Amino acid sequence: MIRINKLTYRYPNTTQPVLIDVNLEIPSGTITLISGASGSGKSTLLRCINGIVPHFTGGVIQGEIQVFEENPIQSGPLKLAGLVGYVFQEPESQFVFDVVEAEIAFSLENAGVEQLELNKRINQIIDHFQLNSIRYKHIQDLSGGEKQKVAIASALVNHPKVLIFDEPTSQLDAQTAEEFLQFLVNLTTTFGLTTLIAEHRLERVLPFVDAIAHITQDHHLIFGPPRKILPHLDLAPPIVRIAQSFNISPLPLSVGEFSNKFTKLIKNKYPIETEDSPVDTGPILLLNQLSTNIHDQNIIKDISFNLNQSEILVVLGPNGTGKTTLLRSILGLIPSEGKRELFSKNMEIMKISSIIKHISYLPQNPNDLLFADSIIEELKITLKNHHQRKTDAQLIEFLEPLDLAKQYNRYPRDLSIGECQRTAIAAITIHDPEIILLDEPTRGLDYHSKLELSSLLKNWRNQGKAIMVVTHDVEFAARLADRVLIIENGKMLFVGHPRVAFTQFEKYQTQTARLFSDTNAIIPEDIIFDEKNGN
Amino acid sequence: MKHRISWILWLVVSLYLALTTRNPYYLSLQLLELSFLGYFLAKRKGSTKWLTSNIRFIGIVLLFSGVINTLFSHQGKIIFFKLPQQWLIIGGAFTLESLTYGLINGLVIAVLFLIFNIINLALNTRQIIHLIPKIFYPIAIILTISLTFFPTIQRRISEIKEAQQLRGNQMKKIADWLPIVLPLLISSLERSITLSESMTARGFHPQQSLRSSKNVLIGIVLALFSIFSAWILQLFDYPPLISIILYLIGGISVLLTFFIANRKISVTRFYQEKWKLVDILASIFFAIIISILVILEISGCSPQLTYSPYPVITQPIFNIGAVLLNLTLLLPLIAIISTNCKENDPD
Repeated sequence: MIRINKLTYRYPNTTQPVLIDVNLEIPSGTITLISGASGSGKSTLLRCINGIVPHFTGGVIQGEIQVFEENPIQSGPLKLAGLVGYVFQEPESQFVFDVVEAEIAFSLENAGVEQLELNKRINQIIDHFQLNSIRYKHIQDLSGGEKQKVAIASALVNHPKVLIFDEPTSQLDAQTAEEFLQFLVNLTTTFGLTTLIAEHRLERVLPFVDAIAHITQDHHLIFGPPRKILPHLDLAPPIVRIAQSFNISPLPLSVGEFSNKFTKLIKNKYPIETEDSPVDTGPILLLNQLSTNIHDQNIIKDISFNLNQSEILVVLGPNGTGKTTLLRSILGLIPSEGKRELFSKNMEIMKISSIIKHISYLPQNPNDLLFADSIIEELKITLKNHHQRKTDAQLIEFLEPLDLAKQYNRYPRDLSIGECQRTAIAAITIHDPEIILLDEPTRGLDYHSKLELSSLLKNWRNQGKAIMVVTHDVEFAARLADRVLIIENGKMLFVGHPRVAFTQFEKYQTQTARLFSDTNAIIPEDIIFDEKNGN
Repeated sequence: MKHRISWILWLVVSLYLALTTRNPYYLSLQLLELSFLGYFLAKRKGSTKWLTSNIRFIGIVLLFSGVINTLFSHQGKIIFFKLPQQWLIIGGAFTLESLTYGLINGLVIAVLFLIFNIINLALNTRQIIHLIPKIFYPIAIILTISLTFFPTIQRRISEIKEAQQLRGNQMKKIADWLPIVLPLLISSLERSITLSESMTARGFHPQQSLRSSKNVLIGIVLALFSIFSAWILQLFDYPPLISIILYLIGGISVLLTFFIANRKISVTRFYQEKWKLVDILASIFFAIIISILVILEISGCSPQLTYSPYPVITQPIFNIGAVLLNLTLLLPLIAIISTNCKENDPD
C-alpha cells in the first residue's frame, strides 16, 4: 500500500513546485497508471516513492509518504531499495555490469544476501523470466526487449513489494508492448506486487490498469479508477474519444469492452466509403531492389518504392526489422546493392555531402545534434555547414511554425522533449531540403507534442516536401500517412494506401480500425466527423 | 588450474624468481618456460598469434637493453672496439661485459612482461576485480562500470558523428569536433546521473570509510611502519633476520586489517570461485615453495641465482637445484593438462 498525503515538492534552484498538494492512496496488488504531459512531474512522483527524491536530488519537500511500513522521506533510498524495484526509462543507461547474471545479482550483493540464498534467488528469477539462454551473455549484445527483461529481473530479484516503471513501452512496437503489458499483469499477480507505470500511450496501457493518477498541467494530481479519471483528460485514446462522443457508458477501455452492439449501431448509421489511392505526384526519390548486408547478415532485402513530392510516407514494422538500416542505406551511410535515384540521378556516384543538401535526417536521439548555446545558434551552424546565410529575422520567421520563435534564444537542452525535438528538426531543415527522413520521432513525446509534430509535418507536406517517417506508433502513423510501407524481417510486406495498411494487417490495426473492422475508418475523426455530418 | 588464489601464489613465486635471478642460464630457462606456458594458454583461448607477437616484443627489448648498456657503460676487459674518449657519453670502450649485463637486464624485463601477460591470459576481468578486497568494494564497482562504459562511449561517438555529418559537418578542422565532443560529454553526464540513480535505487552505498574505523587505521599505520623500517634496516646491512621479522609483521597486519574490515562490510559477492582439487594442490605446492624460500632467506642460505659479468666475465654457475626451482613455473601447465579441463568458462 502506498499513501501520499499533501505532498509538495520543488527541485533545488527552482521557484515553481513540480508537485503540488498531491494526495494518493494505492491499495496493494494493483496496477496504477501515472499519466500527464512531459515535464508534468511523473518521474518526480515515482522517484518520491523510493526516496531518490529528495535524498538524491535535494530540493524542498513537504507532506507525508508511506510505502508499506517505510517512510521514504525519512528512511532514504537505501532502506527503500529492498521494498521498491525501479525500472528506468532507458534500460541501457542503468546497467552496472557487463554480464546479465552479474547485473541481476547487483542488488542482492548490496543487500548482503548470503551466498546460498543469493544463488537460489538468481536461479529462480532467471527461470521465471526465461533468461537461461542469455544468462552469460554480454548485455551490449542483447536486443532491446531482452535488455528490458534483464532490467525488470534485476529490479524484482530483491523481492520488492512495489515495482515502478518509467515509460516502459516507449521503445517497443505495438505487439511487443502488448506482450510486455500482459507479462506485467502476470508478474503483478504472481508476486503480489503493487505496480506503478508512467506512460504516454494510454491506448496501450488502459486495458491493464486498475487506477489512473493523472498529473495536470498545473502540477496537481487527480486519482481514481480509469472511468472516473478519463473524462477529465483532454487527450484520451481513440476508443475512449469515440465512446465519449456517442455518450456510451460505462466507458470502454479496450476494444473487447466496446460492445458489438454499439459498433453496429454506429456503423449501420454511417457507412464509410472507400477512397481512391493517392495520386502519383512524380517521384523525387526512387529505390529499386535495395538490399543491405551488415556483417554478412542480410538486413534489408529487395526493397523498391518511390517517394513523391508532397507526400508523407510512413514506414512501419516491428523492432529490429531494418527500418533504421533502410534510412541509412538511402543516405549511403552503409553500402547497399540496388538502384537509388534522387531527381533521376544515380545516388551511387553522389557524395554524402551533396546528398544531404537534398535529404535531411533526424536521428532517433535528437540530443545527438544539439550542442550550441541557443536555438538560433543551432540553425546558424547548419547554415554555415551548407555555406548559406540568413538574417536573424528570417530564422525567427522559420521558427514560427515550429512554435519556437518566442524562445529562439533559449538553451536547447533546457527545453522540453517535444521542443528539443522540434529544435533538432529545425536544425536539419533550415537549409530547405526537399526530402526529410525522421527516425522514430515520437519516442518519449506526449500527446500534445505528437499532435504538434504531425501538424507541422503535414504543413510541410502541403508546401511540397517529401517526408518519410519511420515509426511503430500506429495511432500517430494513421493520423499522418499518405502512404504506408510495411517492412518485416527486412522484406517489403506492403506499400500502399493507409486505409488498407491500418485495416488489413492485424499487427498494425489502429483501435478505430479494430472497432469498425469492416469499414475503412482508421482514426476517431473518421467516425466522429461522420456522426456530426450525419446530423 | 583456474582459481585466482593459485595463480596469485604462482605470481609470487615467479616474481621472486624473476627479481632475484641474474644468472643468464636460469633467466633463459624462465623465458622459455613462460613462452611455452603462455603459448599453451593463448592457444586454449583460441589465439595462435600470441607467441609470434611476444617474441617480436622480447627481441626488441633485448636488443634495446643490450645496445643501450653497451653504448653508455664502458667497463670490462674484453673490448670489441673503441670510440674516442672525448665523445660525450658514448665515447670509450665497447665491452662484452657491458653487452652481457644489458642482455641480462633485458631478459629480466622480458620475463616480468611474460609473467603479467600470462596472469592476464589466465584470469578473466571478473577474477581480477575479485582480487580487490571487499573494503574497496566501490573501487571494484568503478572498475566494472568502466569496462561497460567504454564500449558505450565508442558507440555513442559513431552515432553522434554520423548525425552531425548528415547535418553537413565536414569533419575537416579540429573545430568540427566540437559538435561531437559536446553532445557526447552531455549525454555521458546524463547517463552517469541515471546510472547513479539506478545504483542508489538498488541499494548501492559507499561502505563505511576506512578512516571511520580506528582498528583499520591502526592496522594500516603499523603495517606501513614495519615494512618501511624493515626496508631501511635492510639497506644499512643490519642482520637480515630483523628485516624479515618486520616484513612478516607488516604483511600479517595488512592481511589481518583487511580480514577484520572485510567482515564489517555487509555486501556479498555473487561470483564465488569453486576450489577444485588441482587448485588446492597447486596452491599448497606454491605455499610450500614460498615458505621454503622465506626460510632459506632467513637462514641466509638462499639459492645462488645471482651473477654479474663485472669485473671480468666468467662462466655462470649451473646448479641442478636452481633449475628444479625454476621448473616450478611450469606447474600450471602440468596442472591443466593433468586434469584435462576444458575452457568452459562463461567468459
